[in-house]
Amino acid sequence: STGLTEDQKEFQKVALDFAAKEMAPYMAEWDEKEIFPVETMRKAAQLGFGGIYVKPDVGGSGLSRLDTSIIFEALSTGCTSTTAYMSIHNMCVWMIDTFGNEEQRRRFCPSLCSMEKFASYCLTEPGSGSDAASLLTSAQRKGDSYVLNGSKAFISGGGDTDVYVVMCRTGGPGPKGISCLVLEKGMPGLSFGKKEKKVGWNSQPTRAVIFEDCVVPVGNRLGAEGQGFNIAMQGLNGGRINIASCSLGAAHASVLLAQGHLTVRKQFGEPLANNQYLQFRLAEMATRLVAARLMVRNAARALQEGREDAAVLCSMAKLFATDECFGICNQALQMHGGYGYLKDYAVQQFVRDIRVHQILEGTNEVMRMLVARNLLQG
Amino acid sequence: QAIDDDCNQTGQLLAAMLDWPQGTFASRVQLEAGAVLVEREVDGGLETLRLRLPAVLTADLRLNEPRYATLPNIMKAKKKPLEVIPAAELGVPAGPPRLKVLQVQEPPPRAGGEKVESVESLLGKLRHAGRI
Repeated sequence: STGLTEDQKEFQKVALDFAAKEMAPYMAEWDEKEIFPVETMRKAAQLGFGGIYVKPDVGGSGLSRLDTSIIFEALSTGCTSTTAYMSIHNMCVWMIDTFGNEEQRRRFCPSLCSMEKFASYCLTEPGSGSDAASLLTSAQRKGDSYVLNGSKAFISGGGDTDVYVVMCRTGGPGPKGISCLVLEKGMPGLSFGKKEKKVGWNSQPTRAVIFEDCVVPVGNRLGAEGQGFNIAMQGLNGGRINIASCSLGAAHASVLLAQGHLTVRKQFGEPLANNQYLQFRLAEMATRLVAARLMVRNAARALQEGREDAAVLCSMAKLFATDECFGICNQALQMHGGYGYLKDYAVQQFVRDIRVHQILEGTNEVMRMLVARNLLQG
Repeated sequence: QAIDDDCNQTGQLLAAMLDWPQGTFASRVQLEAGAVLVEREVDGGLETLRLRLPAVLTADLRLNEPRYATLPNIMKAKKKPLEVIPAAELGVPAGPPRLKVLQVQEPPPRAGGEKVESVESLLGKLRHAGRI
């Protein structure tokens, strides 16, 4: 919490308290039973965590990207998977808040900020992941509506959430032919695939989202036709900081767990903490955590200030933090020895939950692509 | 009993000055018509009193769970006006302090105990020391 303002320290305190009392005691159960903790998330929304960087006039908390990063990092120490879903939800609400017209903002944002309704972000398809702009889901204009056909894959919250922010093709090929539509569960022609069985992120359901002649009013389009890809990418800039922040929280919690274990566990007649190798290892883990945190917070500042290098910094931060933090959690697990492999111990869940952060919201390979492009074009 | 000086006097003093009933160390409070039912944490367990209103209550930590501060409230807290009222305006003398510290000392170091052979011997020793 160094370098934070008084307010930010207060936000962090509330989030850490909430994580410790309302999330940490349940994270193992949510993972094992694959429970989507709706009530707990709604409690979090009551504190303002449902639309953290959404404008207050539609129910958001109006905070900055840095405030948001601090909050997600803190919540993630309680349950990384649930916090990661909350960050996706927040990203969707922000997209509607920022690119929607007044009517759309008022229609969707308040109930999303309170988490009376939940949202999902739909970009990836079976045929287009990293090559997101090649998406195929088509939206044909027919009078006052679009008719959607196609499917989305790996949608977090899919099937259980109420509002779907869908990137689909209204025009020609490539990014400029993509628009952003908001769909609601219950619309005819909108259905879902089976719930995927995952290694982690089990407190959020993941399903395919299927559109079969799904009719969506034109009034549900965010922004202009052809603006969809841009909206999606802008959402992801913040999303990447949020996911990286979730990794930070998991790593932080894991370092504390390792520290605890090293002081308690004895072998060869003394606590593990007396071994220089483990001392040095722990020091390296902490050093990398602080470095990753600074990358993420710096990117958050750049984004909220609207700086030119913001998108690149977000990519770098996501790449660096998710990789480093996975390494930290993994080393923390190693330090626990055999116990680290048991589900009775939380460290393995942090490892499993953050593994996917290196893959989604743009793989770390795509992050490299974006940074390289920026370096070599500029 | 506030955690700064552990005096356990403020609520009681207030009740005496106002001549109101007092319910201290309240762990449960229930309002009735014109009265309040106070469950208190005492050394022997729980004691329930019915006090006519108005009354002075002091809270034990078991009374309730503090709420989480909400993000909007944290931000509003900064903007709340902070009114500064000099003590003189309220007719309250600000000094000199009415408490004088006479002495501060550590409790005596723990003296060794004694093992006895039988219950009678124990009772004898306690009587001899004036404890019973």
